[in-house]
Amino acid sequence: MKKLYSIFKQGIIFENPLLMLMIGLCSAIAVTTNVSNGIGMGLAMTFVLLFSEIIISLFRKVIPNAVRIPVFIIVIAAFTTMVDLVMKAYFPDLSKSMGVFIPLIVVNCIIMGRVEAFASKQKFLAVVADSLGMGLGYTWVLIGIAALRELLGNGTLAGVQVMPATFQPILFFILPPGGFFVFGLFISFNIWLKKRMEASAARKELALRKEAA
Amino acid sequence: MKKDMMKLGITLALFASLACASLAVVYGFTRENIEKQSEIQLNASLKELFPEAASFEPIEGLKSPDPNIKFESAFEVKSEQAPLGIAIKATGPSYGGPATLLVAVDLRRSIVGVRVIELKDTPGLGANASSPTYYVDKAKKTTFPGQFAGKYLTDAFEVKKDVVAITASTITSKSLTNIIKTAGNAAVAWMDAAAAGTPQSADAAGQSAGGK
Repeated sequence: MKKLYSIFKQGIIFENPLLMLMIGLCSAIAVTTNVSNGIGMGLAMTFVLLFSEIIISLFRKVIPNAVRIPVFIIVIAAFTTMVDLVMKAYFPDLSKSMGVFIPLIVVNCIIMGRVEAFASKQKFLAVVADSLGMGLGYTWVLIGIAALRELLGNGTLAGVQVMPATFQPILFFILPPGGFFVFGLFISFNIWLKKRMEASAARKELALRKEAA
Repeated sequence: MKKDMMKLGITLALFASLACASLAVVYGFTRENIEKQSEIQLNASLKELFPEAASFEPIEGLKSPDPNIKFESAFEVKSEQAPLGIAIKATGPSYGGPATLLVAVDLRRSIVGVRVIELKDTPGLGANASSPTYYVDKAKKTTFPGQFAGKYLTDAFEVKKDVVAITASTITSKSLTNIIKTAGNAAVAWMDAAAAGTPQSADAAGQSAGGK
């Protein structure tokens, strides 16, 4: 149980796919112009990641090494298409605002990377923990970036006017350069957080050792 | 070696066919809903544009004079007594991919209104064309598609002259205006042809629109 939790925890801060592993960045900057897009993209990505990792992990012994990449792509593409169809049928508005980025989950490097580096070697439960952790890590960053960009660039949050009417939206934040700027801020924030957490963990350990001695 | 290749091929084929089968199941479940959704949206827009309408009769074979712009469907709108106008669902290229608009023209040859059905342009910029809270005229609260309402098709339809562009999205503004103009002209041509008593020939309508 403890091991699973530590796998789950990795994806959120220490090995955050966007801020630490630096993979899957294109979608992170492209769709984060409003919060509902961020939530939708995060959930869609987590769903595809979870089920692709599970399938790959279950079949890892029968997938020949030489053709593993094509098999991964087939599995990921199948789940992505399912998400796309379900969204179109039941959440037409969300599907409209996400546009081309749902089909593009297929080539999201986070999924390919996790499937290749993790799921193809690990057991079922570890894989579930990993994909949920990575998915959560991706989703919180997406929502965070989107909230900041939408608030400053449009004066709204998830489409609801938050800033007073006199607030002049700073268009820069909605544009791609603003996306990179906010993304940079998040990276530095995450590194600061990681250092702090490591320091406090080290202190705790030191205290424990002293006690033991 | 040969045996190996066979095995790889068969495994790959197996995975692919399993994926296909599961996709077919999901597609079967969702297809009806997807079609229903787009129909609901289209009907709602038509009703909004012509509140007095009693029926929408599809017009078959109305062709676009511009090869880049496709007319997906067209409707002759009728109230209980008389025809009211024509609505055309047209798709044309825009900045971020194809854009689909519903253009409605009444019998006075003016545009009743324009609805954005599908648009994939940049959020915060080109996508403002479909935002209900983006105003090209803040005082009058006119949206980008809203400014076309009541416009006569004899107007120039030129962005930055008689059409107000969306800030920082000239390409979107120009492409959408072009789609509206093309569809509007085709609708007028169809009405002219119908009024002249000629059999409602779609080809003739398309050609005369192209000549304008």
